[in-house]
Amino acid sequence: MLIALKDLRIEGRSREVLYTMGFSAALVVLVFSFALASATDPAQGPITAAGVLWAATLFTGTVALARVLDRERENESIRSLLLSPAPRAAIYAGKLIATSALMLSVEVLLTVLVGVLFSAGVFSHLGWLALVLVLGTLGFASTGVVFSAALLRSRSREALLGALLFPIVIPVLLAASRATACLFDPLSPDLEPVAFWVRFLLATDVIYIALGLWVFEPVVSGE
Amino acid sequence: MPTRTTSPRFLALTVLTAALFVIACNAIADAPREITMGLVQKIFYFHVPCAWLLMLSTLVCAGGSVAYLFGGSERGDRVAVSASELGVVFGLCVLVSGPLWAKAAWGVYWQWEARLTSSLLLWLMLVAYVLARRYGGASARRLAAALALFAAIDIPLVYFSVRFFRSIHPSNTVVSTLGPGMRGAFWLSLLAFTALWWVLFSARLATENTYARLVDLEILLDQAEEKKS
Amino acid sequence: MKMVALAYGFIWLAVFGYVFIVSRRLGRLNGEMDELRRRIDRLKT
Repeated sequence: MLIALKDLRIEGRSREVLYTMGFSAALVVLVFSFALASATDPAQGPITAAGVLWAATLFTGTVALARVLDRERENESIRSLLLSPAPRAAIYAGKLIATSALMLSVEVLLTVLVGVLFSAGVFSHLGWLALVLVLGTLGFASTGVVFSAALLRSRSREALLGALLFPIVIPVLLAASRATACLFDPLSPDLEPVAFWVRFLLATDVIYIALGLWVFEPVVSGE
Repeated sequence: MPTRTTSPRFLALTVLTAALFVIACNAIADAPREITMGLVQKIFYFHVPCAWLLMLSTLVCAGGSVAYLFGGSERGDRVAVSASELGVVFGLCVLVSGPLWAKAAWGVYWQWEARLTSSLLLWLMLVAYVLARRYGGASARRLAAALALFAAIDIPLVYFSVRFFRSIHPSNTVVSTLGPGMRGAFWLSLLAFTALWWVLFSARLATENTYARLVDLEILLDQAEEKKS
Repeated sequence: MKMVALAYGFIWLAVFGYVFIVSRRLGRLNGEMDELRRRIDRLKT
């Protein structure tokens, strides 16, 4: 817990990270809207909007992971962290919370942006939307922390992280995207698929976090 | 640990596998043609066993990874890497044979539905495993082991996806409802493919064991040479 | 039909391709074995 707070405090003090992350994520959304401009017809609106939101979130997440774990790399402080008597689970949880918090802050901005650019019904089911955002983010971060930490000492870190992470994370992305698309739809307030995907996300998150907790220590402890 | 691929047991296994394949292919050729799909349906006899082997490989890889990650078992690591490569090979067979059948049966090569997507993701994870081991740097093996565990979670998704999501892909119950002529051919084919998997796995594992022995010997030699000079 | 032949053909190709790759690796390992044997002989002398 303390570790998460420490990370968050460092981030909070230097707003730099949040601003730069937010800005680049917003640009990603803009790029998508330019690219898809001709293809948008009113019926496709919510699906496109949801897709863009989550694609931009994925991008944001990769950057967030790099930030949360890169500082450790620069100061070699992960070694000292591991030498400390802190239980590994706490370190993992700390990184997970820090990454998720970073991602969610940017996602708020992204959601508003997507709502504006794609005329998506962002505010219609705010509670559900918040839940989906949180669950999706947790799903991504839970696996991201494990593999990002494991790749700290690798040369082709950036390229490999994507290759390793994306197949695992795509089901989460899919579920979240489908749920969000239903929530964005101004016409049919059909919440039943949303409930299904939320249950799916919940189950996936529980499994991923459990596995992440289990696997974090052996993967990260020095060989 | 077994290192020789020319041991009599291995040769016997290879011969047995070859024989099984000959019998199975005969049975497949003799099997009745399916009413609606005709000759194309016979891809089923190779496609399904390959899918089964993809899942088996992933399971074995995950098992070895657990042994390695939590038990420090080097043997577990060798088992994992061998199984992962086989998973990539047979997964590729599934992902190629499936669309070829699909084009003839459904008119499209691919569709983003639950089983196809989850199978593709499983295969991609195994490919990522192989890449991670090669280029993952210092902690490559542990990283890959973790990946294998996440891949293993995908297996139930692949298998049960046809049951939970409305799907264009045939359901799991097809096998039990096969007619007598087809049933025999199918199970023979499955047996032949599993024997093939075992042969390839043993051979691949043997090379890993040999390599491990080599490394040990090299270390000993280095020490001996140093002492001499 | 063409699809069947393609499917079966690909599978055979993939399997034998893999066998080929593995046997090549084995060949390289045997080469290293020979190298080690030579070093052992040199040590003995």
